[in-house]
Amino acid sequence: MPPVFPMLTVLSMFYYMCLRRRARTATRGEMNSRRAIESNTRALPINVEIVQYAKEVLDFSSHYGSENSMSYTMWNLAGIPNVYPSSGDFTQTAVFRTYGTWWDRCPSARLPFKRTPSTFCSQDYVELAFEEPVYPTAVHILETYHPGAVVRILACSANPYSQNPPAEVRWEILWSEAPSKVNGPQARQFTPCIKQINFPTNLIRLEVNSSLLDYYTELDAVVLHGVKERPVLSLKTSMIDMNDIDEDEDEEKFACGMDALNKQFSIVTLREWPTNGYFDKLPYELIQLILSHLTVPDLCRLAQTCKLLYQHCCDPLQYIHLSLQPYWARINDTSLEHLQSRCTLIQWLNLSWTGNRGAISVSGFSRFLKVCGSELVRLELSCGHFLNETCLEVITEMCPNLQELNLSSCDKIPPQAFNHIAKVGSLKRLILYRTKVEQTALLSILNFCSELQHLSLGSCVMIEDYDLIASMMGAKCKKLRSLDLWRCKNITESGIAELASGCQLLEELDLGWCPTLQSSTGCFTNLARKLPNLQKLFLTANRSVCDTDIEELAANCTHLRQLDILGTRMVSPASLRKLLESCKDLSLLDVSFCSQIDNRVVLELNANFPNVFIKKSFTQ
Amino acid sequence: MFSVLSYGRLVARAVLGGLSQTDSRDYSLVTASCGFGKDFRKGILKKGMCYGDDACFVARHRTADVLGVADGVGGWRDYGVDPSQFSGTLMRTCERLVKEGRFVPSNPVGILTAGYCELLQNKVPLLGSSTACIVVLDRSSHRLHTANLGDSGFLVVRQHYFNTPFQLSIAPPEAEGVVLSDSPEAADSTSFDVQLGDIILTATDGLFDNMPDYMILQELKKLKNSNYESIQQTARSIAEQAHELFACDNGLNVRGGKPDDITVLLSIVAEYTD
Repeated sequence: MPPVFPMLTVLSMFYYMCLRRRARTATRGEMNSRRAIESNTRALPINVEIVQYAKEVLDFSSHYGSENSMSYTMWNLAGIPNVYPSSGDFTQTAVFRTYGTWWDRCPSARLPFKRTPSTFCSQDYVELAFEEPVYPTAVHILETYHPGAVVRILACSANPYSQNPPAEVRWEILWSEAPSKVNGPQARQFTPCIKQINFPTNLIRLEVNSSLLDYYTELDAVVLHGVKERPVLSLKTSMIDMNDIDEDEDEEKFACGMDALNKQFSIVTLREWPTNGYFDKLPYELIQLILSHLTVPDLCRLAQTCKLLYQHCCDPLQYIHLSLQPYWARINDTSLEHLQSRCTLIQWLNLSWTGNRGAISVSGFSRFLKVCGSELVRLELSCGHFLNETCLEVITEMCPNLQELNLSSCDKIPPQAFNHIAKVGSLKRLILYRTKVEQTALLSILNFCSELQHLSLGSCVMIEDYDLIASMMGAKCKKLRSLDLWRCKNITESGIAELASGCQLLEELDLGWCPTLQSSTGCFTNLARKLPNLQKLFLTANRSVCDTDIEELAANCTHLRQLDILGTRMVSPASLRKLLESCKDLSLLDVSFCSQIDNRVVLELNANFPNVFIKKSFTQ
Repeated sequence: MFSVLSYGRLVARAVLGGLSQTDSRDYSLVTASCGFGKDFRKGILKKGMCYGDDACFVARHRTADVLGVADGVGGWRDYGVDPSQFSGTLMRTCERLVKEGRFVPSNPVGILTAGYCELLQNKVPLLGSSTACIVVLDRSSHRLHTANLGDSGFLVVRQHYFNTPFQLSIAPPEAEGVVLSDSPEAADSTSFDVQLGDIILTATDGLFDNMPDYMILQELKKLKNSNYESIQQTARSIAEQAHELFACDNGLNVRGGKPDDITVLLSIVAEYTD
């Protein structure tokens, strides 16, 4: 039957056209999901899917657990699941350091950087290595408690197990989304629809934002599905890909914006025009004000449009506050070099998460600070594993006005290198969380930086005698307002006594997981009586906290806003009631694993004090 | 020609292997467990391997086989604390440490110490105390490393070549210790070489207090081969006999045993097969 064939052809053409139109009109998410399914079914017969659990945790920005233990540490993300499908607060999982907005609401909270793109909301990250490099087809995240924190999944082109250093390190976003509220703490397997990438990977990075969570999120394991051979794309799929590139605003911004910065900034081949039209009528300051709302990559792109805007975009006044953290994957020595000339007035600089895997060199960093360090007031360098002693030396030499320095999780800096920080006498905030700072270096910092207001020494494992540190603080750091001693291993009542009598302005004190503090010595009573301004007090997992301590807090620290007494058997509902009645500002009270405080008590307290968030975690 | 060559190589290898004194094969432990809670309920009651207040684990890692028993101190019941919670959590934690490879085979005390530290790291305030015994077989060096705290213990029994009887190599230490006041480092630690066919019996005091050594050896003699089923059977028969020694007939304890939880881990050193 000959007429059938032309008929079929017409039909198939019509079908093809429909498909194209659908591809063009479909939203990004729909397309992604469809593409993932298509590629899956297509890939399977010729290409067997490999399923792997993480082999090793390579890097992370923070965790709840101790550095010398496994409980609640990021290292639990490696290997098979320990808890899933159970829900609850278990030691065998990976837990980040914070949740909710509680840490942004205490005296030590830092101001956010302006110009942070709306697409970047990551607060913490963890990087996982897998055995076999694959083209990922799916990523499953087993979340066992308060799920919903993961906002971004990235894949890296560099193989962490390869002997040769990679020629190029590329990061590709497999999936990203704004944080969303998931109701309830129940475990779930999270399987977002991921983008296909054109290189095999065995290095996956999860970025999280816990701001909407009611409690700490706990992750059990990550499963990477993928194929060894690059999946063959049919005509249809590649067509969708083409459309995708045009529409994919965010990724283009992420990928091309910083390339533009690197490549095209230096080349100025813009044509001369006699006038700039209406732009000439606008005051200089007004254009500057408008531009101040642009993100850095947009600023870089705008600079390529005309000479006037180029001039505006290069004005150092646009770079007073600069956060390069959202672009950590693309920042390298070259980008710093190009930014150098316009950052001469820079006061706030955020280089957190940047520079790893050889992207920023010590000399590149030093060159930048030599030109741009003189006005610097705030420097954020969290997780900068390229930082060494030379870098700290350069910082102290080049940034005489520095007031805030964040070195959290910079675990490659040698212990004695921290000595250099003592030269920055103007320092008001110092964050040394998870660093290897040693005792003599820290003592000399405390001795010379008497302006210190905020100090974080959480999980600093190299300090031998915290009592010595505390007595130095009591003697020298009279202006201290917040102090984080989370998981310090040996502070005792004598250290606390010197601290409380010397630093009477303290508003925030984190003594979570300090096992050597015994309530029977009167240390907590002493704290409550000497520090009436306390707004936040964490006594997490101190098993000796008792009714007397709570009653002293109720009587003396009426400004208390946040209190954590997790894991004590000695506190009764009656003393908590007293506390809630006298501390009217209290908004966070963690009584998890307090054996006298059962769910019935929590319900009753909740009913009587509706403005207080009373947290009670559970294991089963 | 080729076949002759490869055949020759095989023969040469066999001869050389026979001549050389060092055994290059890896060893492993084939282990079976059995136990009774003293309240006459048998088998695995709580999550994990728990018999009454006793707990045990058997774990394997690339380099070593590790097993352990712990006897929760019953006195905590008077304070409203379930004694098995401490021993059970301790053993589960040690098991995890082994599975994750966070241990050194030659340092079994380290496993106990790390396990104890992890207990302190738990958000849940744990109360209790327990005795503990950890046995590690280093696969390649054929050495058995042990740590023992308190009155649990282990026996290593070796069968000699020409029908000589079983012989006790190491007896459980008599000294009694209490975990609450001792640090895990206080555990006795010993190391010695083992051979294929060696039998290792790890158990809590419920066995050693009730069953004399000669009876244990008699039961072990019945063990004919090293497959899991016969080990399991022997383990069960040892546990049952010890249990019967204090089991009451008509409410009368005629045999004179002391009622206690019993946990028995019976292992044979065998060639490692994966």
